[in-house]
Amino acid sequence: MRPFTFQRIQSLDQASARKANDGHQCIAGGTNLLDLMKKNITVPEVLLDITKALPDQIETTAKGIRIGAMVRNSAAANHDLIRSKFPLVSKALLAGASPQIRNMASIGGNLLQRTRCPYFYDTTLPCNKRNPGTGCGAIDGENRMSAIVGYSTECVAVHPSDLCIALAALDANVIIRTTDKKETIIPFKDFHRLPGETPEQDNNLPVSGIITAVDIPSNQFFKNAAYVKLRDRESYAFALISVAAALELNGNKIVQARLASGGVAHKPWRWYEAEAFLKGKNATLETFQKAAAIVVKETKPLSNNAFKVPMLKGAVEVALQNCLNA
Amino acid sequence: MAEGRVEGISKVTGSGKYAAEYKVDNVCYGVIVGSTIPAGEIEAYHLDDAKEVAGVLDIITHLNRPSIPAFENEESIKKSGFSLPVLHTDKVFFKGQPIALVIAETLEDATYAASLVTATYKQSSFNVDFDTTHPSIPLAGTGKERGTMDAWSNAAFVADAEYNIKHEVHNPMEMHATIATWVSKDKLKLWDKNQGVNNVQGTLSRLWKMPAANIEVISEFVGGGFGAGLLVWPHVLMTVMAAQQVKRPVKVVLTRPQMFTLVGYRPQAWQKVKIGADKDGNFLGILHQSKHSKSVYDNYREGITRISRMLYKIPNAKTEEATVSLNLSAPTWMRGPGDCSGAFGLECAIDELSYQLKKDPVQLRLQNLATEIDPDTQKPWSTNFLNECVEKGAANIEWAKYRKAQPASVKEGDWMIGYGMACGMWFAGRSKASAGIKMQKDGTISVETAMTDIGTGTGTGMQNIAHDNLGIPKNKIKVNLGNSNLPAAPSQGGSTGLSTMSGAVVAACNEFRKKIAELASVVDEAYKHVNPADIVFTKNGVALQTQGNRPVSYENIFAKNNLEIIDVQATSGPGEERQKYAFCSGAAHFVRVKVHAKTGKVKVDKIVSVVDAGYVVNDKAAANQISGAAVGGLGMALTEEQLVDHKLGCVVGNDLAGYHFPVNADAPIIDVSFIGKPDVNINPAGAKGLGEVGIIGMAPAVANAIYNATGKRLRNLPITPDKVLMA
Ligand SMILES: Cc1cc2nc3c(=O)[nH]c(=O)nc-3n(C[C@H](O)[C@H](O)[C@H](O)COP(=O)(O)OP(=O)(O)OC[C@H]3O[C@@H](n4cnc5c(N)ncnc54)[C@H](O)[C@@H]3O)c2cc1C
Repeated sequence: MRPFTFQRIQSLDQASARKANDGHQCIAGGTNLLDLMKKNITVPEVLLDITKALPDQIETTAKGIRIGAMVRNSAAANHDLIRSKFPLVSKALLAGASPQIRNMASIGGNLLQRTRCPYFYDTTLPCNKRNPGTGCGAIDGENRMSAIVGYSTECVAVHPSDLCIALAALDANVIIRTTDKKETIIPFKDFHRLPGETPEQDNNLPVSGIITAVDIPSNQFFKNAAYVKLRDRESYAFALISVAAALELNGNKIVQARLASGGVAHKPWRWYEAEAFLKGKNATLETFQKAAAIVVKETKPLSNNAFKVPMLKGAVEVALQNCLNA
Repeated sequence: MAEGRVEGISKVTGSGKYAAEYKVDNVCYGVIVGSTIPAGEIEAYHLDDAKEVAGVLDIITHLNRPSIPAFENEESIKKSGFSLPVLHTDKVFFKGQPIALVIAETLEDATYAASLVTATYKQSSFNVDFDTTHPSIPLAGTGKERGTMDAWSNAAFVADAEYNIKHEVHNPMEMHATIATWVSKDKLKLWDKNQGVNNVQGTLSRLWKMPAANIEVISEFVGGGFGAGLLVWPHVLMTVMAAQQVKRPVKVVLTRPQMFTLVGYRPQAWQKVKIGADKDGNFLGILHQSKHSKSVYDNYREGITRISRMLYKIPNAKTEEATVSLNLSAPTWMRGPGDCSGAFGLECAIDELSYQLKKDPVQLRLQNLATEIDPDTQKPWSTNFLNECVEKGAANIEWAKYRKAQPASVKEGDWMIGYGMACGMWFAGRSKASAGIKMQKDGTISVETAMTDIGTGTGTGMQNIAHDNLGIPKNKIKVNLGNSNLPAAPSQGGSTGLSTMSGAVVAACNEFRKKIAELASVVDEAYKHVNPADIVFTKNGVALQTQGNRPVSYENIFAKNNLEIIDVQATSGPGEERQKYAFCSGAAHFVRVKVHAKTGKVKVDKIVSVVDAGYVVNDKAAANQISGAAVGGLGMALTEEQLVDHKLGCVVGNDLAGYHFPVNADAPIIDVSFIGKPDVNINPAGAKGLGEVGIIGMAPAVANAIYNATGKRLRNLPITPDKVLMA
């Protein structure tokens, strides 16, 4: 690990002012950053410990709920209000990592965790995201875990977060503080990026931007929400495919539906067409199967991950069905 | 239930020290730099940036390292038996091969400086692709062929299929680590993570051409081995060289990524099994062929087809094997080496045959098991209760009641339920070893041997055996292990540890009784003529069981003989019984799986393992071995696969997030039981080894259950959900 300076940050202003400097990087729970530093993937000169500067409360607001960026993943997952009114968030969080990691991991850090593509994680391998211009090792290498939508010839990595899938489904907003002391709000769907020509950029967080909170608008999805995650082992593994599904029902009629997936793209992916299809339909297995068929129409698997298409289809069906028994 | 481990408290309180945890004065730290190409030659090192890092003491490469006497020239390297002459060659055989060691005052300095070391290479072509290479490698006969292949060409039923197993990595929790210090110019001391201190001592003695007595190796606590600690690996030599170079103690701890390339793995394997039976299900013949990967620089080979010559009565049997050389690091023994892979082919093929025959696979096995005579050597088995394992396992999982003959016939919603079973067998070995007993004045004893306890419970077993023999309470018996200065013992491996030690401990107990009789006779003449077996050890002294008690206090024994300590040693090993009998441990594994029809998810929700391992010295430690092996078997069956990038020529995903061994949530409650009948011929305890047999047969049991659940025959491990879906 390269030697670095460690600074305790006291306020958000201080945090964003310093973060704008070259070689400065924030550390919250450290569960992702330290791994990246140990592997020389990220080599900051100055670490800004923002744990004391960030809000760490969960509050109700006029429009919904605000989760402070420093709230630990396990605290959020076990919070009464989240469990009762935003259960999808709790379910997604609990499907991620391990209890030890969730105890450390912050909400802000979860949004900013970097891909787990094995080529990204090994500095001796080519990777455009880590080292632009070196090529994509995964595109014709081991791409079983890689994307099936939204990728480019430069990068086929997927975003590893589970929480973000639920937040995408629930139309959350990311609250950001920048040096000009303004609060910027980025809707979740616009927060993460597709790789395109610049896979080194994961998201649209401004250079001086500090995530202070995530807002989730109140919704009627809490009765019928499900998170399905398929992975190579029962815990402590990233998603091959995950599906966040939520239904607002009137009797058996679907008033509104939300569907999002992890393990499929460079960013949390919403299935808008399938959501539109579900709207107004009866919540039956047949409807769900049709929605799942619409979902997979969009996909274009790589050399080693054709299985993700039927797996996604199955997972969408199961997630929608699970909404009814949630 | 037996009491816990002798080392339990030390382990859970952290007072027990693993190799890397010893505090050694003036120690400095070494970090290994690996090659970044899979094949070629090193042209130049670029060390300037690294040397500028504060705290860097030296960087050793093949150009400046102190030379290892046995690596003097090509010829001597060949003779040394050490396949990778680390830092004594400019050749690169695999990516990640150690090419330099950075030595610094702190681990942080060394780690940072190591990240700055680069080299220029002359690259050559390479090959890491097992699947496309093996078809062109010819097979050669192995083992004794029986009968002819023609004899069963008209068999009524034949199963004939190919099976594949991916490259698997041991990944014990404890990283391999070595601290080496030259105590004087010709005396070396090592704290090293390994499974056999005498093996490390002997290997270093050979390589450095110095007397073994001048090398002390300590491996008192071992955080798992699974076979990775049976060899001396390059990092150990590098640490010794470094300590020589900087004239200070040096510590090297492998990083987790290095654990994937520097301490072996289970090779990737291909198999083809063709097995025939008559219309009643009697096996007529088998052809078992296998090939496994190995490194270009190493000649590792494991007997994958051996199990097919041992398990069943098959009149005609032919086995063929080959290895496939790749630009990867060297594989090595991993729990159940050979047989574990071979059982996958054999036991799946038999399952396939059972469905053709429409015969219950339990019955088919019971009918064909060779429980009397070892078909390979034609010697009678000393004991083989595999049939009882099968019967008991079937009863415990209620096979007859729940297992349906028709695949894919039991459903619970989207879940398909199935049952599968398979057998495992492992030779029950025993080696020669020594043990010592020391008694203190207070009547407490310590039982000692150089053998390591890698988590297998060897120490606890030794305490149990000494207690059974001497009657001294367990809390007065200490166990000392894992130091090359202690009485010599072979490595802990191949399920021979306890079998070997039981003989040595019993011999030491007998020697101790003799010695006590001799010493007590100085106090009381009556002891001159006693049968040592007649001596009982009481709280304060010894007495006689039959000849009128005649107590003699420990105090008197020590005082009258002018002794500070009573110290005996004895050696014991296998004998004639090995000429007369064949020895094996056996296991039958039964599993129940749920397979999700829409997502391919497989959940093993019940495991029953029944093991014939002779007398069970400590049921808790023994059951612990079997359930651990079962989880290892689940990994082999469902999750473990080292990815290899064929274009770049290297392993990828070399960390615990990328390589999926099972976690607790993957393991159901594992119902372990033992037949428990002593094997009176193998050793004084009657105990056969059981470390490997728990994993052998587990993967095919799972694959067979998946077939029963889904009707899909999955012949390539690991059976990840994608394979289930796409089949
Ligand atoms: C083995 C393993 C398995 C895992 N499995 C899963 C899984 O299955 N699913 C899943 O979702 N996650 C998983 N995780 C990832 C885990 O959720 C993330 O590591 C964690 O959420 C990151 O949060 P943190 O607070 O520790 O972030 P840190 O590591 O502290 O920071 C991560 C990044 O975010 C930046 N940062 C942090 N907070 C802020 C802020 N408020 N404003 C601006 N920048 C900020 C840091 O500068 C850094 O670049 C796993 C992690 C590990 C190590």
